[in-house]
Amino acid sequence: MDELDLLKKAWKKDTHSFEQVTETEIYKMIHKRSSSIVKWILIISILEFVFWNIISFGFLGDNYIKDKYGKDIFEYVIEINTVYNIISYVVVILFIYLFYKNYRRISTTNSTKQLMSDIIKTRKTVQYYVWFNIVFFVIGTLILLYVQFAYDSRFSVFIDKIHNDGTHMLLYKAIGKIAAFIFVLVAIIWAFYRLLYGILLRKLNANYKELKKIDL
Amino acid sequence: MSDNLEQSFVKQLKENQNIIHKICRLYTNGEDAHNDLFQEITIQLWKAFPKFRGESKFSTWAYRVALNTAITLYRKNTRTVSTVTYEGQKHFLRQEDYNLEEEEQIKLMYQAVQQLNDIEKALVFLYLEDKDYTEISETLGISEVNARVKMNRIKGKLKKILNP
Repeated sequence: MDELDLLKKAWKKDTHSFEQVTETEIYKMIHKRSSSIVKWILIISILEFVFWNIISFGFLGDNYIKDKYGKDIFEYVIEINTVYNIISYVVVILFIYLFYKNYRRISTTNSTKQLMSDIIKTRKTVQYYVWFNIVFFVIGTLILLYVQFAYDSRFSVFIDKIHNDGTHMLLYKAIGKIAAFIFVLVAIIWAFYRLLYGILLRKLNANYKELKKIDL
Repeated sequence: MSDNLEQSFVKQLKENQNIIHKICRLYTNGEDAHNDLFQEITIQLWKAFPKFRGESKFSTWAYRVALNTAITLYRKNTRTVSTVTYEGQKHFLRQEDYNLEEEEQIKLMYQAVQQLNDIEKALVFLYLEDKDYTEISETLGISEVNARVKMNRIKGKLKKILNP
């Protein structure tokens, strides 16, 4: 008899001797894609970091600042910009590290409970990251405005006008305009992050809901 | 992705899991590798499931996707020559069904099959599953003649491995 036919005989008998995988295990397997979503969050955060650095080195360098801001204050602005950049490097790198940690945790976890809590943690990390970017942007803008009002001679004419205006109307108008300006920019940043991470977070959330169903 | 789709997938896969186990059996040695491949195949099947229209049986569709997955994965590792660690392998043979000599022979057979390449293993799988050459050629995308030639070559190869 052919060797392969001998194997065939054994093969048929083998059919029921495999350790059976349960339905829950299959569910878990197909929800493992959480780890690939988290991987994308990590990749996108790194790409974003690289992208902003290229932009700030290429276009927003010291020369750009010299051109944009008056001679009275550009030195301040460069200093502020440097400090601002250093802080944001440290924080963003910290966030990338956290994303990496989330990714490692999610891709190695075995229990559904653990996976669910990891998904929540990842969502929170992303939310903190977005909030950090928005708050940090607003603070930066306010500091810049302060420097301009305090030290730029081009602004002092305007400040004199406000001083001489008895009704404060000019002051309110100025504050209103600044607030609107910041609001629009924050909305743009927020929309940007919603688009960038929102899709991934939604998928992660859907996954979370499925896992919850299994775990009950 | 609707819940129904997911439920029906999980149910059908559970019922037909032995065919996947068998493919894992031929392509891996060791329990961890077996489980890894099983999981990878499950993920690929789930990704492909929306395209499965029920024109063929679930099992037929599943083993085709599974073979492709195994072949693709195996290809990536083709440079790492696997040393056969038979002791570590999932226990598949029910002892009482075989006398000792036969069991020993079957062990050797599996070891020999392990040494074949990815496509050859696929052919062995289809042969063991009693598929005719029409189906084999369809599944692997080769001509029927080619499938026959390959099969004969495999038999020769196995003989050589078993009786050096």
